[in-house]
Amino acid sequence: MRRFWNAFKYQRLFTKIFLVMVISIIAVSALTSLTTIRMSERLFMKTFSITNSKVLYQIKTSIESFNYSIVTAANNILQSGSIKSFLTEGESDSLTVAKTYYSMNQQMKRIQSNVDAYEVGITLVGMNGRNYATDRTYFTLSTEELKHHRLTLTTLLEPKRLMYQYYNEKSAGGEGGEPLLVATKALMERTTGGIYGTMYVTIREREFKQFYTNFTSEGNDVLILNRDGIILSSNREELIGQTSEELVRHAEEINDTGLDYRQAKVFGNDSILVADYLPSYDFYLVNMIDKNIALNQIFDIKTIVLICVMIVSAALIIVFLISRQITKSLTLFVRRMSNVTKHDFGNYMNVTGSYEIRELGKAYNYMLDELHAYIDRLVETQRHQRNAELAALQRQINPHFLYNTLASVKMLVQQGSKEKAAETINALISLLQNTISNVSETITVEEELANLKNYVFINHVRYGGRIRVDYFVMPDCMQARVPKLIIQPFIENAFFHAFNKKEEGFIHVLISSEGHTLICEVVDNGDGMEGVSDNTLPNPKSKRQLFTGIGVINVHERIKLLYGEEYGVTISSQPGEGTKVRVRLPKETD
Amino acid sequence: MKKAWTLLLAGMLMLTACSSNSSNQEGSSNAGGSDTGAAAKEISIWAWDPSFNIAALEIAKAAYADDNPDAKINVIEYAQNDVIQKMNTGLNSGTTKGLPNIVLIEDYRAQSFLQAYPDMFVDLSTHINAGDFAEYKIGPTSHDGKQYGVPFDSGVTGLYVRTDYLEQAGYTLEDLQDITWNEYIEIGKAVKEKTGKNMISLDPNDLGILRMMAQSAGSWVLKEDGTTPNLADNAALKEAFEVYKAMMENNIVRMHSDWSQFVAGFNSGEVASVPTGNWITPSIKAEASQAGKWAIAPLPVLANQPDSVHASNLGGSSWYVLNVPGSETAADFLAKTFGSDVEMYQKLLTDIGALGTLKEAAAGTAYEKSDEFFSGQNIVADFAKWTEQIPNVNYGMHTYAIEDILIVEMQNYLNGKDLDKALADAQAQAEAQLK
Repeated sequence: MRRFWNAFKYQRLFTKIFLVMVISIIAVSALTSLTTIRMSERLFMKTFSITNSKVLYQIKTSIESFNYSIVTAANNILQSGSIKSFLTEGESDSLTVAKTYYSMNQQMKRIQSNVDAYEVGITLVGMNGRNYATDRTYFTLSTEELKHHRLTLTTLLEPKRLMYQYYNEKSAGGEGGEPLLVATKALMERTTGGIYGTMYVTIREREFKQFYTNFTSEGNDVLILNRDGIILSSNREELIGQTSEELVRHAEEINDTGLDYRQAKVFGNDSILVADYLPSYDFYLVNMIDKNIALNQIFDIKTIVLICVMIVSAALIIVFLISRQITKSLTLFVRRMSNVTKHDFGNYMNVTGSYEIRELGKAYNYMLDELHAYIDRLVETQRHQRNAELAALQRQINPHFLYNTLASVKMLVQQGSKEKAAETINALISLLQNTISNVSETITVEEELANLKNYVFINHVRYGGRIRVDYFVMPDCMQARVPKLIIQPFIENAFFHAFNKKEEGFIHVLISSEGHTLICEVVDNGDGMEGVSDNTLPNPKSKRQLFTGIGVINVHERIKLLYGEEYGVTISSQPGEGTKVRVRLPKETD
Repeated sequence: MKKAWTLLLAGMLMLTACSSNSSNQEGSSNAGGSDTGAAAKEISIWAWDPSFNIAALEIAKAAYADDNPDAKINVIEYAQNDVIQKMNTGLNSGTTKGLPNIVLIEDYRAQSFLQAYPDMFVDLSTHINAGDFAEYKIGPTSHDGKQYGVPFDSGVTGLYVRTDYLEQAGYTLEDLQDITWNEYIEIGKAVKEKTGKNMISLDPNDLGILRMMAQSAGSWVLKEDGTTPNLADNAALKEAFEVYKAMMENNIVRMHSDWSQFVAGFNSGEVASVPTGNWITPSIKAEASQAGKWAIAPLPVLANQPDSVHASNLGGSSWYVLNVPGSETAADFLAKTFGSDVEMYQKLLTDIGALGTLKEAAAGTAYEKSDEFFSGQNIVADFAKWTEQIPNVNYGMHTYAIEDILIVEMQNYLNGKDLDKALADAQAQAEAQLK
């Protein structure tokens, strides 16, 4: 998880760039496709409404010319005297009746030629009970039933109008039957206004349909409805006879407001509606286009989506590769830079990638180089400074030491111990001689031992011999080289601090070697100390007794400065039992 | 970067390829239902009269379906005039599109189709045996030695009479067994006087009764050749005209202008007799309340025609197979049903009263039954007897064209025109028209 987070952390730039690209590519392609589809949809609607208005106009024309034929037929029937007498005269002798029948029939044949182009049946029913039908198959109603049928009653309400009505035997209670459109008109005596019969011109819906079926296709439907919303005719048979008030409302609005088309949800489908009013029929002619089917014919949505997806994914792959390449070296760069403090500024860049990245890498590497050089110089300078300081300290022979020593010598001389005084002076001379030479020089353990012995001799002279000092040196260590005055400060310390409570004791100086390491130990059995953990001995409060400026504190630093981290001083101490100082040095010989 | 361009290009190519084939899907699916070769299993049949021809077809369909369950037979009902008009339109235009596989054609008209469009009809000689059918049906249904039609119903005529009205007028059925049309008119006058009912129902625009009279005397409106009008010197026709006028003048005629009024006339009891083809039987029997009141007498004869017999033919039609895809199935259908199925004919007779012309069928049990509706009269046997007597005439091609002329001249004659003059005018007009 953490690794993942880390990986992600470094990929943040890439992620951001990539995400932005993904979003914009998808947005652009989606928006473009949508806009294009919208535009062509709108274009389609416009073209559609124009063409379909024309189609509707054409349908309307043919339906109107059908109406015209029927009107002509109706007028001829109205004007025909023989038809009128057929429908009005009472019973008389066979010969007269035969003549009436004959001339009526001849008349009707002529009249029927008006509507010959259409498959219609004409039925006449007279008030005298006579009737005539060119084709009896349309109505199965008896004449009496027809006389009291809704068709007739509605017609008689408006005797002057030729009206079109919907008739389906099913609705009349009969069984079977197919939907019919019936043009009805009352036959009215013009002068008196008396109605002498009714005319019915019937056309089967399936014939009426022929006026428009050629213009229809799947999803492109034509419906004819009356003002009540009853669908009288349609290429979709299942709709015939249904009532759709919403459709008639839409049709009315389209017609009233002069809209080209209207989009609405009809019969559960999103549809485009074009409508026209058929004034002579009092019907609405509606062209209903199922939007989904129509648009599907124009747009292969599947293909468009497929192409979009393809283009988008292609673009994404390209974007992925390119941005990946750009950000990869940058990411690596950032990762290195954030780790710059680790490995002693040793994280150099691989100078790869694009030009910008390469230049940046070079500059970075150059900077690291400079940094290293600067630090090296700084370290060197500090070392020199430290050495100089130590040298200075080393050369500072404490005047108190000289004064005390010389005072002791004076006492010896006064006491008459000339021999001892001369010895003391000799010891002081060789001590000073060794000390005041170059501080960076090393001396052999043997010489250091001589110095120690001189120093101890002087101290014994001054303070008496109650503290014994013994030396245990492995013979092979005698020629090893050590820095000057490296052990002296610990003996000095033991002399002046370890035996404040105890009157007497000893100090052992042990020098041995472990492999290439020289181990010098200064062990006393003095008072000991508490809480010695930081490898430092307490700083002497006064410098009076010190031989040089180099204190125990400096020794550790000095060793490290000279030989490195693995060398140095360790101190252990037990109160009442004494202190043990252990100095580790490399064993160097000439 | 190169890769990217290739991808893009490929995408564009796909785009154009995809968009081009979306609009070619429509069309080519609106082929007709029966365009799939001669052996198509779906055939259509045109016929008229639901209570007779259509009902007969339904029985045949059921009989055929027993052996051929996968055949789909669409029966389409049209008025006879529509059938004729549609056939003429289709055949004239020279295309078979929209025409049915089987069509019912009235015998009077058959020749006009067969002679004009012999190629459009399928010769059924190999499917049926012409000798199996009544002789007089073969003339109209064949042409040039080929049997095109499967003869269907018999048009043998009889005089359907209301015995109850006769009795009221003082006559019995016996009195009608051998009468002339003049005697028929006398009876009609008596009936009218006694009952107030008209003797006969006629349509002034349909001279079927004249055709019946003419054929009963072995005469026709065309000469033997089938094309020359035979009106001016046709004694039988002339007498028929006189009888017709006499009926009118004696006021024993009820008028009707179409079939349903015709049927309504006798069903309602307004008419005392119906001289017509036997196919009227189902319509007569449709009024069950009149059971026992009807009887069938032989057709009256023309008094002055020595050849005139008590039998004639009116109407009757036959099935024809059109030469359109599916004709094999259609021919097979006809051959196995109307062409040979004796059992089916029994059912036709029992269920709808249709009297076929397949000779063999007459031997069936249904043909021997007496009919309770007609007071136990064995009408089938009677019709069979009369069928044998029907004089054979050639209906020719122009029966109805001449009838149209005669209808007009009949009116002129009724209005007082001299009969010889009227017939001579008709002759002249027919000759001019049919030349």
